[in-house]
Amino acid sequence: MNPNWAEENLQTIRTLMERSAVYRRALAPIMLFAGTMGVLTATIGIWSQQFWSLQDSMQVFGTLWLGTAAIVVAGAFLTARRQAIKDKEHFWSPPTRRVGQALLPALSAGMFLGGLFTFVGLTNAITLTFIWLFFYGCALHSAGFFMLRGMKCFGWIFIGLAAVTASVLCFLNITRPLAFPASNIAITAHLLMGFFFGVLHLAYGAYLYLTEKRKNAA
Amino acid sequence: MNPEPFLQLDRVIHEKGRLAIMSMLAASPELSFTELRDALGMTDGNLTTHIRALQEEGYVSVAKSYQNNRPLTTCSLTTPGRKAFAEYINLLEQIVRQNKPR
Repeated sequence: MNPNWAEENLQTIRTLMERSAVYRRALAPIMLFAGTMGVLTATIGIWSQQFWSLQDSMQVFGTLWLGTAAIVVAGAFLTARRQAIKDKEHFWSPPTRRVGQALLPALSAGMFLGGLFTFVGLTNAITLTFIWLFFYGCALHSAGFFMLRGMKCFGWIFIGLAAVTASVLCFLNITRPLAFPASNIAITAHLLMGFFFGVLHLAYGAYLYLTEKRKNAA
Repeated sequence: MNPEPFLQLDRVIHEKGRLAIMSMLAASPELSFTELRDALGMTDGNLTTHIRALQEEGYVSVAKSYQNNRPLTTCSLTTPGRKAFAEYINLLEQIVRQNKPR
């Protein structure tokens, strides 16, 4: 008899329990909310750049998106909590705690660098966008070990698409401040953020929503 | 090695498919038949057989209802089922502790 079978069984049990925990069922509305906020913020950002021709665009860009991130985190927290209350489950269960712990390092690093670069102005909005995209992709990939298998792929999509887009932009020399006016940098950054944090979340949320609906209709 | 905990393991739960069903249901108040089937990659027949075995043992309850005019079958753990599952995990942990080098 293999002496590790009991440990392997326990690991399988843990994985299966994590997959059916409450946050899994709250994922579709959270993704749709995050996507809507992303598209909305990008629209507001581009509109404000075009109509007010803001000079200090890095600070406006960083503040706008960090504020949106805070709203999305609060919204996700409330949605998962509401779902837990509805299903009479514990909100801060061990599986949820593990997902939180997996997300936290990369998300806090991204938030910290975002805050620092926004207020010290060490870089431009496009570079900050890619820093956020890579950190966010890593955070999703880490969380994927404790939830839906698709979450790891979603993390890789962020990292892969961000790498391709960054390479294309570098190739076109768009990130050179001299070749690109400040407002165009901010508009490009808002467009990138709108696509990645808005459209991608909306697409994943819609996919989850439709597949869950199909599964529930026996 | 003390074989006592191994001999005490609940044979109904110990089967791979039934253990997976019990694990999924232990973390959720109820799951639909299709959710279980898709999450565990089982066939309809296989899942029905395992659920029936768990139901006969009194570990799982099955409820049939309608959602959007379509039949919906949901499964949940009963109190004895939850207790048996907790006992099974305790025994597994005992076996793991026994196997660990001192």
